[in-house]
Amino acid sequence: MAQFSLYQEESQPSPWHRTWEEFRSSHVAFAGFIVLGLFLFVSLFAPLVAPYDPLQQNIDALLVPPSWEPNGTVSHLFGTDALGRDVFSRIMYGCRVTFGSSVLLVLIAMLVGVTIGTIAGMTSGVRSSVINHTLDALMAIPTLLIAIIIVAILGTGLVNSMWAITLALIPQFIHHTRSFVRSEMKKEYILASRLDGAKPVQLFFHSVLPNMIEMLVVQGSLALSVAVIDISALGFLNLGAQPPLPELGVILADGLDVAYVAPWNVGLPGLTIFLMVLAINIVGDGLRSALRRRLTH
Amino acid sequence: MRGGFRWAAFLVALAGLQACDKSEQIAFYQSGIIYCSESNPVNFNPQTDTSSTTADATAHQLYDRLLNFDAESGQIVPNVAESWVVSDDGLTYTFQLHKDVTFHTTTYFTPTRTLNADDVIFSINRWRLPSNPFHAVSGGRYPYFESLGLAENIVNVERINGYRVQITLKEPDSSFLANLATDFSVILSAEYADHLLSRGTPERIDYFPIGTGPFKFESYRKDHYIRFLRNENYWGFDELPDGQSNTEHLIYDITTKSSIRLAKLITGECDAIAFPAQTELEIIRNREELELSEKPGLNIGFWAFNTERPPFDDPKVRKALALAIDKNTLLEAVYFESATRAKTLLPTASWAFQSDAEDTAYNPVLAKKLLKEAGIEPGFTMTIWAMPVERAYNPNASKMAELIQRYLSAVDIQVNIVTYDWTTFRRHLREGLHDSVLIGWSADNGDPDNFYRPLLSCGAIPSGTNRAMWCNEKYDALINEALETQDLERRKAIYEEVNRLLYDELPLVPIAHAYRYQAYRKNLKGMSINPYGGVRFAGVTKSL
Amino acid sequence: MIQILIRYATLFITTMLVLAALSFSLAYLFPGDVLVNLTGITPQNETERAALLRQFQLDKPYLFQFIHYVQQLLQGNWGYSFVSGLPLREEIGIAMPATIELSAYALFVAIFVGVPLGCYAGMRSYTKRDYLINSASMVSYSFPVFWLALVFIMVFSLNLGIVPLSGRVSLLFDVPPTTGFILIDIIIAENTDTSLALNDALYHLLLPTISIALVSTASVVRLTRRSVIDVLKSPYIAAAESRGLSRVQIFRRHILRNALLPILPLMAIQITTLITNAMIVETLFSWPGIGNWLIQAIYQRDYPALRVGMLAVATLVVSFTILIDLFNRIIDPSREKYERGTV
Repeated sequence: MAQFSLYQEESQPSPWHRTWEEFRSSHVAFAGFIVLGLFLFVSLFAPLVAPYDPLQQNIDALLVPPSWEPNGTVSHLFGTDALGRDVFSRIMYGCRVTFGSSVLLVLIAMLVGVTIGTIAGMTSGVRSSVINHTLDALMAIPTLLIAIIIVAILGTGLVNSMWAITLALIPQFIHHTRSFVRSEMKKEYILASRLDGAKPVQLFFHSVLPNMIEMLVVQGSLALSVAVIDISALGFLNLGAQPPLPELGVILADGLDVAYVAPWNVGLPGLTIFLMVLAINIVGDGLRSALRRRLTH
Repeated sequence: MRGGFRWAAFLVALAGLQACDKSEQIAFYQSGIIYCSESNPVNFNPQTDTSSTTADATAHQLYDRLLNFDAESGQIVPNVAESWVVSDDGLTYTFQLHKDVTFHTTTYFTPTRTLNADDVIFSINRWRLPSNPFHAVSGGRYPYFESLGLAENIVNVERINGYRVQITLKEPDSSFLANLATDFSVILSAEYADHLLSRGTPERIDYFPIGTGPFKFESYRKDHYIRFLRNENYWGFDELPDGQSNTEHLIYDITTKSSIRLAKLITGECDAIAFPAQTELEIIRNREELELSEKPGLNIGFWAFNTERPPFDDPKVRKALALAIDKNTLLEAVYFESATRAKTLLPTASWAFQSDAEDTAYNPVLAKKLLKEAGIEPGFTMTIWAMPVERAYNPNASKMAELIQRYLSAVDIQVNIVTYDWTTFRRHLREGLHDSVLIGWSADNGDPDNFYRPLLSCGAIPSGTNRAMWCNEKYDALINEALETQDLERRKAIYEEVNRLLYDELPLVPIAHAYRYQAYRKNLKGMSINPYGGVRFAGVTKSL
Repeated sequence: MIQILIRYATLFITTMLVLAALSFSLAYLFPGDVLVNLTGITPQNETERAALLRQFQLDKPYLFQFIHYVQQLLQGNWGYSFVSGLPLREEIGIAMPATIELSAYALFVAIFVGVPLGCYAGMRSYTKRDYLINSASMVSYSFPVFWLALVFIMVFSLNLGIVPLSGRVSLLFDVPPTTGFILIDIIIAENTDTSLALNDALYHLLLPTISIALVSTASVVRLTRRSVIDVLKSPYIAAAESRGLSRVQIFRRHILRNALLPILPLMAIQITTLITNAMIVETLFSWPGIGNWLIQAIYQRDYPALRVGMLAVATLVVSFTILIDLFNRIIDPSREKYERGTV
């Protein structure tokens, strides 16, 4: 395949491609990416890969230890819980619920946040200043508090807890979008488009948005890790998803009742949440470093 | 950076501090007993509530009764009443009271006299007579007495002399003495009541209690703790097995999760805990420093249908639902074999227990057929209320609810599980907002009437112990008839007829009679289970 | 300067008004009776109800109701708990300091461990040690705090039996809540053995503080490290190096100040996270703080308590954020607005 190449760079790699190359060169980041992919796979195909129905109770197999313990069985890889449900299947479905709802709510928060942020960034004046400052201050209200209020008004449930977290995540997207759009609007290429007669909408979709995507991916990854922790924390506190829905925090709270007899019912779901968040953080961090390196090189 | 060193030095200093006075430390830590209880008491007067949480926190700590049950034999023994006489027609009871029974001296009240007949009369009249100025205080409900219809049956409570009281009944009641010995029949101070009335704060009587028991009330913080102080002048110290104890403080650490109670027992933050979970019994048995005592309990866990709500007013529907669940599975999964299957309301320990009573057997096919006949469409949705606290009779109601949910989905019935915190839960239950509920009953004495009357009689609906909201004239007539005779065989025959009626009507599905457990650390001496009521800390000592 | 102060005062008042309006509207949004939600008093009959309605001006238009509500709040009439009937101001007065205390210790640990570690990692950036610190911080940053606390309880309390797992001090000590801060209360308390109680309280503090601090320390390490690296790249460091200053001198004279200044505003967000974590951890360690209190309130559907509790926590967090922002503006006027950091 040896082919003579006159120029070192025959094709200009796109910025995206270069970021990806930088990202891939970090082994840890790439490993995190694979783990995250695994979680995504499990979330998408849980019904196909899970060996049991997560709700199927089996009275003959209560609190079976995981397979690596002396009296565990291979048929229940992670053992069973107090109702004889297969912990492995429950965790798989748990990933689906926790991860799936987190991704969904981050996307919603991003959509809303970017819309409002762009409007705020493209307009200026007293209005945006006062509203922005108040918004900034209000954004400090903890998710847990918002969730408690939403639960008090609407009742418990996965969807209600998702609303609460979405509400808490939106301001940060607004904020980043606003500052990004602001700084971008001052740049010359925008001025050029403007002089070409581009309308604000066109300006946004053709000029600003393409440059913003990287920022959004990074912010999205940050928001995702927060979302996963919050969703499971609310489930754990019995303010979010309700049993028997297999949400990781709920599974963990369920396991608390048998924490001494069956510590794997607490250990494994918690470990899964931890790994999920770690993978998201590693990928997010890797992306940020890759971006930083691309921009400095 | 330098701040870090200072912090470390501070810690080192404190660690050193710990080493120097070990004996003083031990003396301090053994001066008080910490009991991890499962929930908040409603108030500090067990007359006003049937929940065992309230009784546990008050009945044997703060108060005395006229009579007591012997913890071993279940016989009625003297307490404040030294002796008593029952007239031949069974209508007049005369009690001779102990002298020198002192009331608590606390920061909020100093008594000027010892217990006498007035206190007994006030205590009974409070729940008996709506005209009593304290009757309406704290809601004016006395569920235990209401559910037994005791007030209507008492004609008069009279003072014979300062230390002699006479009670006259309308109808003979073979369980009357037993009722006076229960946790609910405590003796309050009439002097304190008058004092409060003159100050215009009668409601304090149930929140800042004055009694004659071995401990006096110090402070209470909801969801956190109840503090009791040793009653230095307790009149009954001589009658305790160990005589005087070194216990200065008794503290109830309110801990709602059973797993956390066990954890605190293991770390020594609690000396004794209420209601260890059935799953955890093995761990307690296996740990050297812990002690587990058990006794067959006088209780019943059941699944009651709200018979005031269609379609649960139809016995056929109730029967179908009962047939759809497998009780043995519930026993295994929820009680971990620490309970016996319930066929009727009465546990085996009761003298009227009927061993050949009929029982529903698991039969989903028949259940489906009955449901169809009753006109219940597939996909019908109902609620099961699962009580949020652990009780011996149902250690994990939400788990049981989830199991029943699965069974009912097999007969095409959708179940929503509902739960609230305990106080709200019971308030809503009394309002009848439930379709069905998993709950139970711990009896206060071994008399069968203590099961049949509060759980299912018409009079028990407003008092909030009849969770099925079921009212049946024939049933009420039968249980009244049973009380009029002293002949046990005759009573037993009547209760067998009652059992048959209940099997046909099925206002509730009896599920289990559980053992009672109490877990405590070995260094606690003198703990014993009281099968006839609440926990008792008089005479318990701690030695580290 | 005065202009800045006025601007922040306006901001503070506006935000407080928005919060008060939110909490007022909750009385209408929560299920049940508005009167009960707002006051916590359940009227026994219609006449009493009418009297209460008049007393709280609920028969007037919303605006008047709101003004009356704010007046009541300012006067300290926060209503009564629907479940326990206790005055809410008193309840929050006991619960809030417990949370502040716990968060303060955790913040203290996070700063005194996090900043030096972060500086060290930043100075030695891209070496093995930096890599180690960085990965460790990434791992501890990813712990769900409720699980971490559980694992701590299982290991240190149950298996090793070193530390207690619940409450602030053994209940045998009768410490009256004078200030609400347990260590101070113990020192003030009269009939307790001070040294014994302090010792006991410190043991109780250990696990909850570490659980919260671990996550916060991790973010402080990462923020500091990033900031130090950024400063190291700046030209004045190169200039200092070329002047022949030693590494220690450069660090003390140039890096430390310049690196710490920009992370101050970022701490503001950390405080929100910190308090949220403290509130969650409280429920696990039965810490009698505001988080535990609020979660009990929601379990019991105690709407008046939720209404005021929400206002109290939000006020605390928001004032903190605004204060830090103001502080930052004063010491560094060149900064236009505070920034949101990425950890």
